[in-house]
Amino acid sequence: MAVKIDPDACGHIENCPVQGLCVKICEQGALVEENGDVAIIAEKCDDCDLCIQNCPNQAISKA
Amino acid sequence: MFNIERKGSEYRVLSYKDQNCVGCGICSEVCPTDSLRLGPTVPIARGLIEMDLVSVNANSCAFCGLCSSACPFGALDLTIDNVSIKELDVYPKWNVECIVNDDDCVYCGRCNDVCPQDSIIFKRELPDRSALVRGEIDIDDEKCIYCSFCADMCPAGAITVKNIPKASNDVVNNSIEVDLSKCIFCGVCKRICPENAIMEVCSTCMYSDEIDIPEVTGETFIVENTCVSCSWCSEICPKDAISITKPFEGNLELVEIEEEEKICKGESCHACQDVCPCKAVEIVEGKSVTNLDFCNLCGACVTACPQDIRVVSRTAMKLENVNSKSWSEILDTLLVGK
Repeated sequence: MAVKIDPDACGHIENCPVQGLCVKICEQGALVEENGDVAIIAEKCDDCDLCIQNCPNQAISKA
Repeated sequence: MFNIERKGSEYRVLSYKDQNCVGCGICSEVCPTDSLRLGPTVPIARGLIEMDLVSVNANSCAFCGLCSSACPFGALDLTIDNVSIKELDVYPKWNVECIVNDDDCVYCGRCNDVCPQDSIIFKRELPDRSALVRGEIDIDDEKCIYCSFCADMCPAGAITVKNIPKASNDVVNNSIEVDLSKCIFCGVCKRICPENAIMEVCSTCMYSDEIDIPEVTGETFIVENTCVSCSWCSEICPKDAISITKPFEGNLELVEIEEEEKICKGESCHACQDVCPCKAVEIVEGKSVTNLDFCNLCGACVTACPQDIRVVSRTAMKLENVNSKSWSEILDTLLVGK
């Protein structure tokens, strides 16, 4: 299932209030920083939805 | 932490202490003007974000004090003309206690070890070991070869041997000493000594009637300010010396809805475990399990759960003396569950 990120809402690490909170909060390693942006590794996602709930920009939703 | 004030015919100050806050969000639930906001509890609990759990909009706050009365953990306090409303007769009061009965406490310290909030002040004075034993010990310097067998084997660490010269003119400057405050006259040193240099006699049994059992004194005290009423201390106390009243009665359940894929993700998430101020949540076989003995029904985990599958149902709360009908109606919303 994984998640999807709305690129218009996402702060792209640099403008994220906590510089990539989703990357930091995902303990599955399903969200990683890649060239100053967030990349999704779908097969690692466990659908715990922690990133969805905690994204300060509400940029993440279920795929 | 914040302090906001309103000057007028009365001087009102609302203050918030983050160190007392558990992130339950009760204050923001009851605020009639929607002026309190609960921050991102999971990232804060994990140390990813440093900020207070609760923030206030000073422009819309009515300084009514409902949050201060509803907070079971003393994180919010409204003062009117410098007097806390918790001290005023007309305002509600939590009828809860966290008390250690000094007469029953034996100063084992187990409460102190388990308290998840470090809210227990504990200290004890144990008597000198020498007060509990009788005996004699003497080491014959002439026979001793400073092999350190005795010092290495002494279970009480009572023997100090100096057998390495500091300088070439120090070759014979050996010494062996017994610390009589530590020696229990067990005789291990005497038995291991290859030179039969140690004389030791234990007379503890012989004098057992004469040896008074010294009293262990101490102090165990629960800091009310930071106690979250989890009951770990009272549950673990072997002497039933601790009384803890929880602020709420009720239940907390995990209600999974498989059709909507709302299921507990256990170790992947563990948000509930991270935010629980009571250490009442564990992940067992991939699912969150809450031990209600230790849960204070604060509901911090309910808000934190990204699957929204935790249901707290509070059936009673120990907040008494609620005189205002409108306050009573708002506070009652805490009882029907979230």
